[in-house]
Amino acid sequence: MLKVTLRGLMAHKVRLIATAVSVLLGVAFMSGTQVLTSSVSASFDKVFADVYASIDVVVRSTNEVDTPFGPERTRISESVLPTVIGVPGVEAAEGQVVGQIKVLDKDNQPLVTAQGPPNFGLNWLDSPSLNGWTLVNGAPPVAANDIVLDVKTADQGNYAVGDTVNVSATKGVQSFKVVGVAKFGKLETWGGAQAALFATPTIQTLVGEPGTYDWISVAGQNNVSQTQLSEAISKAIPSGTEAITGAEFTEESQSAFQKIIGIFSTFLLVFALIALFVGSFIIYNTFSIIVAQRTKELALLRALGASRGQVLRSIVLEAFFVGLTASIVGVGCGVLLAIGLNKLMQSIGFSGPDTPIVIPPVAVLVSLLVGTIITLVSALFPARRAATVPPIAAMRDVAVDRTGASRLRVAFGLILLALGAFMLWFGLNGNSDSGLQIIGGGAFFVFIALTVIGPVIATPFASALGWPLQKASRITGRLARENAMRNPRRTSTTASALMIGIGLVGFIAVTAQSVKASTVDAINQSVTGQYVVTTESFGSTALPQSMATDLDNVAGVRVAAGISATFANVGNSGKVILAVDPDAISQVIEFNDVEGSFVSLGVGQIAASEKLAKDKNLKVGDPVQLVFLQGGATTLTLTSIYKTEFPIQGPGWIISTDQFNTLVPPSQQTYSAIYIKLDDTSSAGVDAALPGLKAVTDAVPGAKLQNLNEYKKSQTDQVNQFLQIVYVLLALALIIAIVGVVNTLLLSVYERTRELGLLRAVGMSRRQVRSTIRLESVIISLMGTLIGLVIGIIFGWALVTALVDEGITSFAIPWSQLVIIVIIAILAGVGAALYPARRAARLDVLRAISSD
Amino acid sequence: MTTTTSSPAGTSTAAHTESVTKVYGAGDTLVTALDNVSVSFERSKFTAIMGPSGSGKSTLMHCVAGLDTINTGRIFIGDVDLSGLNDKQLTRMRRDTIGFVFQAFNLVPTLTALENITLPMDLAGRTPDQEWLDTIVATVGLGDRLSHRPSELSGGQQQRVAVARALASQPAIIFADEPTGNLDSRSGSEILEFMRTAVDKFAQTIVMVTHDPLAASYADRVVFLVDGKVVDDLQSPTTDSVIDRMKSFGA
Ligand SMILES: Nc1ncnc2c1ncn2[C@@H]1O[C@H](COP(=O)(O)OP(=O)(O)OP(=O)(O)O)[C@@H](O)[C@H]1O
Ligand SMILES: [Mg+2]
Repeated sequence: MLKVTLRGLMAHKVRLIATAVSVLLGVAFMSGTQVLTSSVSASFDKVFADVYASIDVVVRSTNEVDTPFGPERTRISESVLPTVIGVPGVEAAEGQVVGQIKVLDKDNQPLVTAQGPPNFGLNWLDSPSLNGWTLVNGAPPVAANDIVLDVKTADQGNYAVGDTVNVSATKGVQSFKVVGVAKFGKLETWGGAQAALFATPTIQTLVGEPGTYDWISVAGQNNVSQTQLSEAISKAIPSGTEAITGAEFTEESQSAFQKIIGIFSTFLLVFALIALFVGSFIIYNTFSIIVAQRTKELALLRALGASRGQVLRSIVLEAFFVGLTASIVGVGCGVLLAIGLNKLMQSIGFSGPDTPIVIPPVAVLVSLLVGTIITLVSALFPARRAATVPPIAAMRDVAVDRTGASRLRVAFGLILLALGAFMLWFGLNGNSDSGLQIIGGGAFFVFIALTVIGPVIATPFASALGWPLQKASRITGRLARENAMRNPRRTSTTASALMIGIGLVGFIAVTAQSVKASTVDAINQSVTGQYVVTTESFGSTALPQSMATDLDNVAGVRVAAGISATFANVGNSGKVILAVDPDAISQVIEFNDVEGSFVSLGVGQIAASEKLAKDKNLKVGDPVQLVFLQGGATTLTLTSIYKTEFPIQGPGWIISTDQFNTLVPPSQQTYSAIYIKLDDTSSAGVDAALPGLKAVTDAVPGAKLQNLNEYKKSQTDQVNQFLQIVYVLLALALIIAIVGVVNTLLLSVYERTRELGLLRAVGMSRRQVRSTIRLESVIISLMGTLIGLVIGIIFGWALVTALVDEGITSFAIPWSQLVIIVIIAILAGVGAALYPARRAARLDVLRAISSD
Repeated sequence: MTTTTSSPAGTSTAAHTESVTKVYGAGDTLVTALDNVSVSFERSKFTAIMGPSGSGKSTLMHCVAGLDTINTGRIFIGDVDLSGLNDKQLTRMRRDTIGFVFQAFNLVPTLTALENITLPMDLAGRTPDQEWLDTIVATVGLGDRLSHRPSELSGGQQQRVAVARALASQPAIIFADEPTGNLDSRSGSEILEFMRTAVDKFAQTIVMVTHDPLAASYADRVVFLVDGKVVDDLQSPTTDSVIDRMKSFGA
């Protein structure tokens, strides 16, 4: 039977191309992203190892707060340094200060944009055993306005020793004198990130806090181990500080980074699995059609004495060969893809320089297994059907069309649908930790259910969709409609592949539209200002607080109110805490008092949103204990429970700017956004205020001044950006689905050779043949698209309904986008039909009518 | 290239060939399917083509109907030279001036009997002449079966639908390749009877390939082919006279 399998494989190789392609694409995506993320991860492991190579022990604060950027630690006082230096075995110890700055080019624009790698400011360490930097040119920074640039920054900005360079930080733009250019080890950058080095006091005021370090780096004498040294130091240092080995420190940084990469990797993997899931429909369909077309041959084999098992095995074996081959090629393509993408990421600083591609064997193995197993499983049902072909079928006419509608099928489909719907409901409304997985599983079951029911609804659906076509283009439309209806199972499986991709697109589109509508609604309802200043930077590089004062002084401005953010542990978890001037902000954003008074929020006090207060069962007068990242442990009194429509990030804690300024050092006293209200709010007034406002904001690199409409647009644009990324990732699933349509059409054309020959013989023109195939393709594509969109809208509605508490209050359907999707589906249908239609039109009439 | 050439045979023939040669393959595998065949099919006549298996009957029919190309010679439908036509023109010719009945697989399985009958006209975008359609349907006797799909019809009924289709568009000539080959004698004679009627009553021109002397006896004339050559021509054949002729060249 192996011979039969191999022969079959060779004979049907053209028909198996689509299967191979869909497996290949999915596997390439899967292995490619894994190789890429492993490589990026490994490259950053190396970066951290390089950057911290000289450190034997790190002394730091014990206070750690989880932030959206990862865990962060409170700074450590300079006063600890002499203690550390005094510990026996310590060769050198110095405080390290690191923070984000913006080195500006000669036009005062940031050299590294927000999308690029980070741009760090560090202090120059004097001890050779701790300082990994070596000067290429010039001298180390000593004076307050000295700066040393890394080679790459100096090259990019065309700066040389002696030049003046501007740096933007909290205090606004400051000028420095380039005294040196340095490289880190062999690298031109600080392991991919661009860096500038300063004298310690300078960088402390610029990004940190005078008198503090981020941590203290210690180099030990040669005869002491890291562990011995860290234990010795631990005993000497005061409480609230800790000593860990350099190895542990490096590992911590590496694993924090791996966690981020891991999330990214999982995100990509989801899309790879979606692509493979869609691919499984193509595989199923291909094998079903091949089995149907080979019924006679298989029956002959059975009549000649082949057992059911042998027939089954021959098909399964065929699937195994195809799946394995495609998976191997897919892994190869994936690795190539990863190499290319890694190069790209290196060029924008998202992957460490000079590190080799890492091909994790597990990823290769898993990709091969998944590709092969999906092919095998998808081919199993058709193979079983092949095995049940009775020997007598050899004598019967072929093309026995099994109708799709059976009661069992409907019942099974409905049960699956109910299960999927329940899982969706439970995932969205239950408070389970694995809500996301349950929702994913629910969606999976809904899709499977629709695929099971598909053949039942395919006929009426194709009939309905084909009806206008038949009206419009008569006989070709009629034939196309009939062809789409004649094999409901095939039509529905082909359409299902498309349905999944489009369903997800529709779901994302509806959700995104609802998020956008809710955001715009919230801004409309709550923001009474006319201008907003925003920045993409954070902390020391965000908008200086003085900017709000400057804006306030611009003629025609009634008030300019800023919002800042900091982090604190409340209970056991890290939270974002916003800070505002309550009186000023109330004039530009509507805050309503539920309890207490928001406007009088002052030092020692904190406000909570209505929802937060309800969840935590808080009332005015309650003490709230917080451990701030900067500023330490404090107990604040809850004096206000407020309500606002404004889309506030974070859980809803608000403190006053006065309180905020007592907590964070001057270098961090910035705003992430400033809202401006004018005296004259007429459109003429709004226009008139612009030049004055612009003069202030232009002086701060990275500050973006927008009127309210532009602000709304930029808020929704963020959603659009995410949308685009998701669409790009879903494109693969859609491409595979289209490959599936091409495949089904090709196999159908092959199957209908005689019929096409007859039609041509009695006078059907080539153009009419093409048009028939094209219309059939459009019907199938539209069917998948329309069902998909309905599912997508329902999924979106379910999610939006579940997220009302998170501020997504409006459910909006992006009609224009949906119409575009439908148009694209029609075009894709036409495109998918191009080749099959040409094949059909080119058929040799004579051979077609005389073929058996 | 001119698309039409006036023919010396004038308008009394529905189709004719001039020294047509058709070869398949090359070298060792070369087969001369048609060897210098000149034959004409008169208007409003029922012509049968007979000959041993492999003698080139189907090939001749396919060539005359414009389904296949020839190596040398010329073929005319009416006074149109087929060699001058491109695929589009040939398609239009098949649709509008030629009717086909094959031995099997004559009908589009997804269309009803009636839709199959009107198919060539639907393809042309013409509305069928209802009166004529009624006449044909009545003659074929399919009245109650018109909305059935081919799979719901017997072989004989399917062939009747096929003949009705060939007649419906009132083509200049109908080609039938063993139309009764798959039928029992009763269904076969119904079809033949029907074709005879079409010639007598509606002045239809029909060319039919057959192996059956009884079927040939329904024709006005029998053309005999052997090894791609026309070897005999019999007017007003009877079953017996056909069998006699066949014996004479050992078929
Ligand atoms: N496509 C082809 N390629 C090669 N040779 C062919 C082809 N079609 C027909 N022939 C050869 O041409 C000759 C005539 O074939 P044709 O089909 O016309 O015979 P026929 O008279 O119709 O026979 P039958 O009564 O069996 O139908 C035969 O020798 C056949 O083998
Ligand atoms: Mg023949």
